[in-house]
Amino acid sequence: MNIIKRELRANMKSLIIWSSIIVVFVVMMMYEFSAYYNNPEMSAVLDSMPKALLDAFSMGSANLTTVSGYLSIAAVYFSLMLGIFAVLLGSSIISKEERDKTVEFFLALPISRQRILVSKLIAAIINCIIINIVTVLAILITTIRYEKIANFNKFFALLMLGIFIIQMIFLSIGMFLAAIMKRYKKSGTYSISILLALYFFSIFVSLSEKMEFFKYITPFKFFEAQNILNQGKLDGTYLLISLGIIVFAMIGTFVFYPKRDLHI
Amino acid sequence: MNIFIYEFKMYVKSVLAWSISIMALLTMFMAFYPTFGSDVAIMDKILENYPKELLKIMGMNTGMSLSSVLGYFVFVFVFIQLCIAIQASNYGFSFLSVEERELTADFLMSKPVSRSKILVSKFLAALLALTITNAVLWITSFTTIAIFSEGKDYNINNLILLLLTIGVFQLFFMSIGMIISVSVKKIRSVLSFSMALSFGLYILNALRNIFGGELLGILTPFYHFEPGYILEKGQYNLPLVFISIGIIIISIVATYILYLKRNIHTL
Amino acid sequence: MNVIQINNLTKYYGKSRGIKDVSFEVKEGEIFGFIGPNGSGKSTTIRTLLSLIFPTSGSATIFGKDCIEHGPEIRREIGYLPSEVFYYDKMKVIDLLKYSASFFKKDCTKRMNELAEIMELDLKRRIEDLSYGNKKKVGIVQGLLHQPKLIMLDEPTSGLDPLMQKKFFNIISEENKKGATVFFSSHILAEVQELCSRVAIIKDGSIMKVEEIKSLRENNYKKITVRGEGITENKFNIDGITEKKMENDELRFFYNGNINNITKAISSETVKDVLIEEPSLEEIFMHYYN
Repeated sequence: MNIIKRELRANMKSLIIWSSIIVVFVVMMMYEFSAYYNNPEMSAVLDSMPKALLDAFSMGSANLTTVSGYLSIAAVYFSLMLGIFAVLLGSSIISKEERDKTVEFFLALPISRQRILVSKLIAAIINCIIINIVTVLAILITTIRYEKIANFNKFFALLMLGIFIIQMIFLSIGMFLAAIMKRYKKSGTYSISILLALYFFSIFVSLSEKMEFFKYITPFKFFEAQNILNQGKLDGTYLLISLGIIVFAMIGTFVFYPKRDLHI
Repeated sequence: MNIFIYEFKMYVKSVLAWSISIMALLTMFMAFYPTFGSDVAIMDKILENYPKELLKIMGMNTGMSLSSVLGYFVFVFVFIQLCIAIQASNYGFSFLSVEERELTADFLMSKPVSRSKILVSKFLAALLALTITNAVLWITSFTTIAIFSEGKDYNINNLILLLLTIGVFQLFFMSIGMIISVSVKKIRSVLSFSMALSFGLYILNALRNIFGGELLGILTPFYHFEPGYILEKGQYNLPLVFISIGIIIISIVATYILYLKRNIHTL
Repeated sequence: MNVIQINNLTKYYGKSRGIKDVSFEVKEGEIFGFIGPNGSGKSTTIRTLLSLIFPTSGSATIFGKDCIEHGPEIRREIGYLPSEVFYYDKMKVIDLLKYSASFFKKDCTKRMNELAEIMELDLKRRIEDLSYGNKKKVGIVQGLLHQPKLIMLDEPTSGLDPLMQKKFFNIISEENKKGATVFFSSHILAEVQELCSRVAIIKDGSIMKVEEIKSLRENNYKKITVRGEGITENKFNIDGITEKKMENDELRFFYNGNINNITKAISSETVKDVLIEEPSLEEIFMHYYN
């Protein structure tokens, strides 16, 4: 419990900075939205386009003149930012003891490494939840004066839930790499590289049919806004894959961290 | 001279990794061009009939079709810019803060060398590292276009104009990294800072691209040096370029002043 | 000539006091000790002399030149051995020493190898693989290979085994005999007592005393031990006696004053043994901090 509190306090500054950045983004975005809101010309044009074309640009059901449509387009960028936050958090929360030279103090205390991991994990999850909530609030507040489509709340909730799951995926990847890699300094770099690569894979998917199978590897394709709007739920297959990644990474973390030599 | 040499040696592995990664990424993207190009050509026919505003929304505001060599390159180059931004940010945030992070300040700063000389040597070493990546990018760009363009014509002058912006682009991120690193008390994790900076400015422009307007783009070099604009118009958006250059100059000057006066602490 | 001249040097970290109005000199060719409890401002003083940090007010000169203005020039002839030694990852010892040597205009190779041999330093190993004590040795060689005129030591022997400590002090003494001035900051008062001729004591950011070690010990109190059965403690309630302790058949105290008062009290008793000693630097030190 004391560990959780300490971790929360230590991460507070970073959380505040990242949250502020997200809020600024949301505000700037919504500022532009006023031009699109209920713009009748725009609606007409969009309605007349063939569905296939819209699909190609992931704009299938996304009507830019509505709040939900607008959000759909921006969703991937939120997953990016929140994903980066999560992966850096996961990686640093494990390696910080070695980085800040607190290893000899902290890990010589009468607690098991597993217990330390559990506390750190909880603190990290809380951080992710908080930044997720900040995003939600920012979006809700800036769009309060706009009317929304019927199932907006359900759509938005599912969207943010999807993003949260993506955060959990990256959090666990970050922690896993930091737990198994001997050179703690490199773990952050590798985690980010993986995130970057996965982002680029998600771009490749739309470039060619041959890349279709990448859909199953990159979290950025798991919970796309367009799909949520269409299906009204989170896709079961992707949920399973996500769970798989998270469970695998977390088990790995809990098994390998206690066995690893800590760098002093 | 000695500081320069040792600082540069520290970059070798990193430059190698980044150069190879960027080469691989660009090659992979360009390899899709032949197949993608033909798919898009069909779409182009349909798109011809649509209003400009809509095309803007779909990220096609360049008026350049994705089926043309440079049109596709525009699409790809933004991602390359993202990688470049991350690398330059990393270097910028790290080379002035390394002594305080690794606690080697007592060693270097007690040598008979002025802060000024230390700063300049480190700066030049980082610059050289980035320039090497720059050169790799030039070579890879021309090579992949040659291989995958299937002989299609393209405006080589515009391409050169675009490639010329890489250096300034790198300088932007490096100098922002520098000024922030000498302004804050202590940097514990270079990665958090550099990710926030590079991805932040990347996303700002991505959003601007979708939603239109200038506001989102004012401070981001991804907009100032947008490949679409340069490759289509064959010129630079001068006012925006000046904003970038202005920011670079201010950052570098401020870094110089602050670093010379900085109290260097251990642990 | 004064190698180091410090005038009213003051450094505040925001509101908290680092050092205040610190003034003293170090003469050419002496071995000067600098002692004080933790947090007293020793490191702050040293780091200001090296222009790692900048003073809030006051000034300091080394070799007659201002520390901040002529920093790089002065440091050509300074050898600094910090207390905590960290070096760049993945560097081998020999690489670091060569890098260090490259900052000085003279050729340091011969001296570098000599020192490495005396300290039994393996030049081919990676620094990060070395133990703390061995890293310390790297620090020592690195600080002395350019034969500096002023050697600044900050806790130099922590981490070294007794044999290495002796070798280290021999090196320092030799350099001193060749004309180098030594500024020695340490907690190990026995060492300071043995090597230094003068010492400055700093506490809470201000200098308490600057004095020759000899006079510090002489002009202070004497440490007196009286042993015997049935000593009447009351006979020793004399002005000038402090820290009186009675244990079994031993009465110990410190005394500053007319020694005849004590001898009279002692002779009025039947005692087995009397010890009159000069206090060690450690005891003086403790005395000042009570």
